[in-house]
Amino acid sequence: MHKLSICTALFSLALCGILNAEESMSMNAADKAMYAEMLENNPAAMDIAEGEELFNAQIGQEAYAKMLGVSVKDLPKTIAGFPRLVKAAGKVVTLSQSLQMAAAQQGKAVPKLESKEMVKMSGYVKSLANDLKTNIDVKVNKQMEEMVVLGKHIFEERRGGRGLSCNSCHSPDIIGSRLRMQELPDLGAPTTASASTWHAYRMTQSAMVSFDKRMQQCMKNALLAELPLGSKEMVALEVYVTNKGKGNTIQIPGLKR
Amino acid sequence: MKTLIKVKPKDYKVGEIVKIDFMAMHPMESGMRKDKDTGQIVPAHFINEVNFFFNDKMLTKMVTWESLSVNPVLSISMKVSATGTLKVLAKDNKGDNVESSVAITPKG
Amino acid sequence: MERRSFLKGFGAVSACVALVPTIASAADEAKKVKGPNEMSVESALNAITGGKAVTPSSKVSLSAPEIAENGAVVPVKVSVESPMSANDYVKAIHVLATKNNNSRCANVYLTPANGEATFATRIKLGSTQDVLAVAEMSNGTFLSAKQNVKVTIGGCG
Ligand code: HEC
Repeated sequence: MHKLSICTALFSLALCGILNAEESMSMNAADKAMYAEMLENNPAAMDIAEGEELFNAQIGQEAYAKMLGVSVKDLPKTIAGFPRLVKAAGKVVTLSQSLQMAAAQQGKAVPKLESKEMVKMSGYVKSLANDLKTNIDVKVNKQMEEMVVLGKHIFEERRGGRGLSCNSCHSPDIIGSRLRMQELPDLGAPTTASASTWHAYRMTQSAMVSFDKRMQQCMKNALLAELPLGSKEMVALEVYVTNKGKGNTIQIPGLKR
Repeated sequence: MKTLIKVKPKDYKVGEIVKIDFMAMHPMESGMRKDKDTGQIVPAHFINEVNFFFNDKMLTKMVTWESLSVNPVLSISMKVSATGTLKVLAKDNKGDNVESSVAITPKG
Repeated sequence: MERRSFLKGFGAVSACVALVPTIASAADEAKKVKGPNEMSVESALNAITGGKAVTPSSKVSLSAPEIAENGAVVPVKVSVESPMSANDYVKAIHVLATKNNNSRCANVYLTPANGEATFATRIKLGSTQDVLAVAEMSNGTFLSAKQNVKVTIGGCG
């Protein structure tokens, strides 16, 4: 068994120069600083601006706050706590789902969760909580408690053809090692600050991507069955992963590889 | 073509130098990429001219090529000389063009 | 413990096998197809200078990452030392990707009203290569700076 594991590790290294590949082939501090500077000029700012127009035309802050049962003043801190229990829904929903509800209430066309319009609109709305800390509360009610338990289960469950789970690549004892040059990110650390940095512009895709979509992309790449956006399982996963980064400052849009 | 102009910092005086950032949503197709579905080469489609004017006087003229990244960002400096309008005219090789502008309002 | 390390190796392989062939064939395709605006760095330089000498100079500073994990978005920043006065200024900054099929990225024609001779953007690099910045001074001389950027192919995530 021991031999086998070493063999596999060597094989994988030879195949695509991965886990713990040479440091020298990754960016140094100056390079990273250059990319960080690019945050200031994030092309996704244009998507956010478009999202603002869409949101104001379809819903507006007042109607949205009313649907959530809060004052307009409290909107940002309410937004900083998604996914959350929304009374009008009777269940835990994501920010995008709450926007669908608000659009329906306004008698407007309900944008699909995977639509470009929704990504832009939810990106703008999440940006209203910029500079606030992620304040998801998984103990505040029974529904949230259930969702975080389900989310943890999904995060750790091995699925798909390769028998991988999210935890295979994002568990504390593997975080920081390299997979094909990419550092395996700690989804809870303030530096990588996962949930609070999405929606983000993905340079590899030249487009703004939402948090749930980013998790789907990991599922696709690791050959895990793709959970549909808005499914109970996907919402639970978002609850669990968001909670890992609770307290991290929201900075939308992020900029990612 | 969606565009955005940013002026940094937010507050500035006459005589100071500000940074002007111009962004555009554009595919910047090189004319060398094959469409995954059709197998056809996607024709070149890129911004080829970006001109900056301050109060209708030419500030900076750019000729740009397909080697710029998708959704390009172009940054230059400007010495603030007066209150006025910064205008940017961008054109692509298919003839699409867009004019965007931002007010320059020095404090003092 | 052993099971875990097995999984690590396995996970890495499985996630990558699918990607390797597509990357290789995309690179091959790129070699075959000629771009519509193909121009070597020599020809591009000639068009800019009309055959005049280009002198490497510390007055031109070019910053670009030493390693770009994604060749599609490589930040490049150029600044040129100059008073930017009516009779002593930088007329143009040219950015060239020396090994791209079309080496030209941007020709930026400045005026004294810019106050400072700076230009920043993001470029696509098809492979590891030098990025070259050429400054055209108002006295007719050409100064330059270059930097090598290693382009690595990104991972699975
Ligand atoms: C095969 C290994 C692997 C598996 C399995 C995997 N991931 Fe990832 N994940 C990565 C890598 C590598 C990155 C970083 C890629 C990059 O830098 O672009 C990443 C990035 C992420 C990010 C973005 C982090 C950030 O803020 O930049 C999230 C969120 C994420 N993964 C969630 C998940 C979830 C949820 C699952 C399970 C459904 C999962 N991942 C399964 C390898 C994996």
